[in-house]
Amino acid sequence: MASEEKTREILKAIQDAVVGYDEETCERLCSSVLEEGIDPHRAVVEGLTGGMERVGELYNSQEYFVPELLLCADALNAGLNVLKPHLKIEDAARKGKLLIGVVEGDIHDIGKNLVRIMFEAAGWDVYDLGNNVKIERFVEEQKKANTDIVALSALMTTSMLAMPKIIGALKAQNPGVKVLVGGAPLSQEIAQRYGADAYAPDAVAAVKRAADLIG
Amino acid sequence: MSMRPDMMSNKERIDALLKGRPIDRVPHFPFIPGFCARNVGYPIAVMYSDAGKSFDAQQKTMEQYGFDWGPLYGYASYGTWEFGGTIKMPEGDYEQAPAHVTFPVQSEADVAGLQLPDVKKAGCLPTAMAFSHLQEKSDTPISVICGGNFTIAGNICSVETLCRWMLKKPDLVHALLRLATDHIVDLVRYWVETFGADRVIPQMWEPSAANYILSPKQFERFVLPYLQESSEKILAMGVKHILYHICGEQNANLPYWAQVPMGDPGLASLGEEVDADTAIKYFGDTCVIIGNIDGKVILEGTPESLYRLCTETIAKLKHAPRGYMMCSGCELPPASPPYNVYVMRKAINDAGWYE
Repeated sequence: MASEEKTREILKAIQDAVVGYDEETCERLCSSVLEEGIDPHRAVVEGLTGGMERVGELYNSQEYFVPELLLCADALNAGLNVLKPHLKIEDAARKGKLLIGVVEGDIHDIGKNLVRIMFEAAGWDVYDLGNNVKIERFVEEQKKANTDIVALSALMTTSMLAMPKIIGALKAQNPGVKVLVGGAPLSQEIAQRYGADAYAPDAVAAVKRAADLIG
Repeated sequence: MSMRPDMMSNKERIDALLKGRPIDRVPHFPFIPGFCARNVGYPIAVMYSDAGKSFDAQQKTMEQYGFDWGPLYGYASYGTWEFGGTIKMPEGDYEQAPAHVTFPVQSEADVAGLQLPDVKKAGCLPTAMAFSHLQEKSDTPISVICGGNFTIAGNICSVETLCRWMLKKPDLVHALLRLATDHIVDLVRYWVETFGADRVIPQMWEPSAANYILSPKQFERFVLPYLQESSEKILAMGVKHILYHICGEQNANLPYWAQVPMGDPGLASLGEEVDADTAIKYFGDTCVIIGNIDGKVILEGTPESLYRLCTETIAKLKHAPRGYMMCSGCELPPASPPYNVYVMRKAINDAGWYE
């Protein structure tokens, strides 16, 4: 069993490996978490997620861009793959459930993928429908997964027009579901007009808005 | 309302603008294929699969709404099909342009085996060439449109893969950018040999290099040298003007874009993310500025709000040193209300004259 000091040292190193997008080191450190008898849940929350929170800050301050974010997420996932089999069932209590997809007519999914990464890192269960998702599929999958939130992404002004129909169909099926929208052509004003519950200008803000929506 | 009569034909206006001579009013530059399809009752896919119908729909719509310049053929996912991948044509209510289905490069090993496309046969190029023959016949500018170097590279292997390789395998990124750059030069040379350097105005669209994705430092390292190289080679063929569509949020890249030779004058097409003063600061002395009416306002704004935006933009840009052409900041949304498209021309009529 590692001392508290040693534990903190390893968790800090995991954070640094995520921030430094060092997949190999992150994987190795997560293995050492198991060898040293450190609680894997703590390693996920304070190490991997803590690292991704720092990545989010670097993204917000425009020190990191999409290439860095993608590789940081790869490092996080490498570590998570080591720790996941060792998490206890009670550790699996998640922050919330999110269904996410790029709307019909739009194949641009980098923004959506970044949002998914930040939600996963923050401890949400994420159901990713991919891109060019038809209205009916959002409705069916929301019902099946019973998610708290549906996040809709669009890059094109043309595909953005599918959003009010999706939102209408989701709310008709489940008035309690919250809908979060984002993407380059969206704005707070358009989100309100379309009947969305929230608009997020970027991936980091999306997680905060979603947390606010489910209280 | 009745429009004030033009004192120049479209061709005279564009020719004069490009030669630095006075013109009667601000030209209205078209970036409107999807809207044209809907306007004449075609599926949007026809704009990319049938040169004749595409040209016809654009010409009719431009006459109806008073656009200058001439019909254009091209799309942002250029490169996927030409390098051996597959694309799908737009369909349904919400698709706007061809989109990639499979990328020619799926793995690191695929990069080494990638060949330069045959510019006479690959992908959309036979259709693009047929379209340019129609441009030639109608005496409108002859364009050859492709992605910018970085956007083509992203369309070969996916932008996410390109982003990962930028940090982990930069040699692969440079190999793809080399191919994209050589292809652009091959492509433009084919057009120049067919129509003559003085008739060809290439267009390069570079959405994937936006700061939504890349840092300015990454732009400087991976994008700028290749843009400069292809531009210099194209201008050395005798081409006089190159249009760069600097798509999306690229403010932090503009100091680098200003170092890309675009001809005399160049043509800098900007999105709504770049304000008028910034546009003039970086491109005013060397380029005709094109843009940057927000597509969201064209699509969803009231006619009054759009009219205000257009007249304000005209007021800020009409006296740009090398000139200004009003245009949507990116492709005009196909579902835009027709009245709003008319409002753009009305704004030019009311605020765009050079007295």
